[in-house]
Amino acid sequence: MILQLIVTGISLGVVYGLIGMGMVLIFRAVGIVNFAQGDFLMLGAFICFAFNQKMGMPIWLSFAITAVLIGLSGIVFQFITYWPLRDAQDKTIIVSTLGASIALREMTKLIWGSTPQTIDPLRGGIVKIAGALLQWQYVIIIVFAALLMSMVYFLLEKTLLGNIMQATAQDKYAASLMGIPIIVAIGLTFFISMLITGAGGVMLAPIFFITNTMGVMAGVKAFAAVVIGGFGSVQGAIIGGLLIGLIEVFAGTYVSTTYKDTVVFAVLIISLLVRPQGIFGEKISEKA
Amino acid sequence: MRKLKIKNLIILFLIALAFALIINFPHISSIYMIRVLNMTMITYLAVLSLYVVFGMAGQSSFAQCGLMGIGAYITANMCTRWGFSPIFGMIMSMLGTALFAFIIGFALFRLKRFYFSFSTIALMTILNGIFANWTKGTGGPVGMGNLVQFSVGGFVFDTEAKYFYLIIGFSIAASIIIWKLFRSPLGRSFMAVRDNEIAASCMGINNLLTKNIAFAISGILCGLAGSLFAFLSGYISATSFALPQSQLYLVVIMIGGSSSPIGALIGSILINLLPEWLRFLKDYMMLIYGVGIMGLMVVLPEGLVGGGKDLYAKYIKRKRSRVDAEQGL
Repeated sequence: MILQLIVTGISLGVVYGLIGMGMVLIFRAVGIVNFAQGDFLMLGAFICFAFNQKMGMPIWLSFAITAVLIGLSGIVFQFITYWPLRDAQDKTIIVSTLGASIALREMTKLIWGSTPQTIDPLRGGIVKIAGALLQWQYVIIIVFAALLMSMVYFLLEKTLLGNIMQATAQDKYAASLMGIPIIVAIGLTFFISMLITGAGGVMLAPIFFITNTMGVMAGVKAFAAVVIGGFGSVQGAIIGGLLIGLIEVFAGTYVSTTYKDTVVFAVLIISLLVRPQGIFGEKISEKA
Repeated sequence: MRKLKIKNLIILFLIALAFALIINFPHISSIYMIRVLNMTMITYLAVLSLYVVFGMAGQSSFAQCGLMGIGAYITANMCTRWGFSPIFGMIMSMLGTALFAFIIGFALFRLKRFYFSFSTIALMTILNGIFANWTKGTGGPVGMGNLVQFSVGGFVFDTEAKYFYLIIGFSIAASIIIWKLFRSPLGRSFMAVRDNEIAASCMGINNLLTKNIAFAISGILCGLAGSLFAFLSGYISATSFALPQSQLYLVVIMIGGSSSPIGALIGSILINLLPEWLRFLKDYMMLIYGVGIMGLMVVLPEGLVGGGKDLYAKYIKRKRSRVDAEQGL
């Protein structure tokens, strides 16, 4: 029982962590908070649904196609919401992403309707680990999300491309003086961010139903994960996501199913009060 | 001097026109349209509360709809369940919501910028969870129905038209108070905190307390809006007080322009009346609306009021340069 809960919690948590990581990448690159991130999770699930259920492709193939398509849509998103507003105030960009979130939700509703849909699990059936019966889907989510995260980490820290992206994130002007095409670096960041978010959506889809509002709660919980972990820190997003996932599952079982979200966000407020900068955040003193 | 007088006359004329329109409006339009305008004014009150905390004090709060919900549920419990008079219920809604905002503010305002916004998202979600699940206090998922009508003495507000006068009266009063606040030392200290906290504290302003007071004032307005909403619709449930609604308020104030209450008014009118005018678009309405917000932010980052001001400034500048050119300077 406990093991099952832990596995469920971790698998939810890694998905929150993936979305949170996407947010952190964008935040580090361009300094804005993307309120439409959860809706890209929903979009990923719906695109995969179209390939898997409507066209009858095998799930792994549709997963791969979805990942690429959702990444490309991230670049488009970047050109619409961020690039024209790059010199504007933060609040303007935030409202622009809120508008994008409404538009995405309505677009999917117009295309695929509002009835809840579902897709094939990445692998069906049940596996027995250490005496506990677990669904394969949860195990696969954990393995696959860990793989994705380590790939992104490797890309960011060990490759030239990652260096280019980090340089752009730190100082756009200096990066452009070094001959880095900023727009390419930012576009690439949005590509990766949306790719991992959409992949999270495909992995969550067999567990929850696909609706056009499935991204709202997941997005808000990813926010919570990012804030608990420390804004701007990639490993913080992952740890925060795991915490949120575990708290959600355990609160749902031992406290009350109706109040599980309330407990999650109460934990967020408490953690903000105790450690506003997050687990991995550094305390930056204000500059005058 | 003469120019100033003409300007005053025009303003007086406009005010008289507005009054005539307001008084006659319920006689010349359908009940449905009055209903839409009533909801518009309630939205306006909620957005005005956001103007105080976001436009003046610079703290982007996503909890306004939750505060409104607190006001609505206080009114519903006070008047319908315990049988207090509606006026008392409304005053208790305003005070209760303000007190809640003031106390929770001490916790939330320890956080700055984005972090404050996130904590208000969390607050909003917690409040919504409580509204949706606390069967005893809020009716749980079913909500609370059959709420009593608003009444003063023996006079019962039982038609849309009567509510129209009531709500517009409250809106005008609230606008005047907020306008006075804008010119008062307290309002100026809000704006000082918004522009630069360190400089503000050097001027002897207590940042935490100032932000708290701003949040409490917004709480009064939210409590009023929630209370009016409960009286007007006669039924409240948790779905009316959810996060998307709060996000909408932020969008509304950004569309109108966060620099003045007029922006809040224009934004709420636009957001409530556009769906009526664009009814023929049907399902595409919300999609166009979302895309429209994105487009508007690109074209007018300061909102409609800010854009209008820019245009006016350009017009004045051009006029001046022409005068200069004519004088051969």
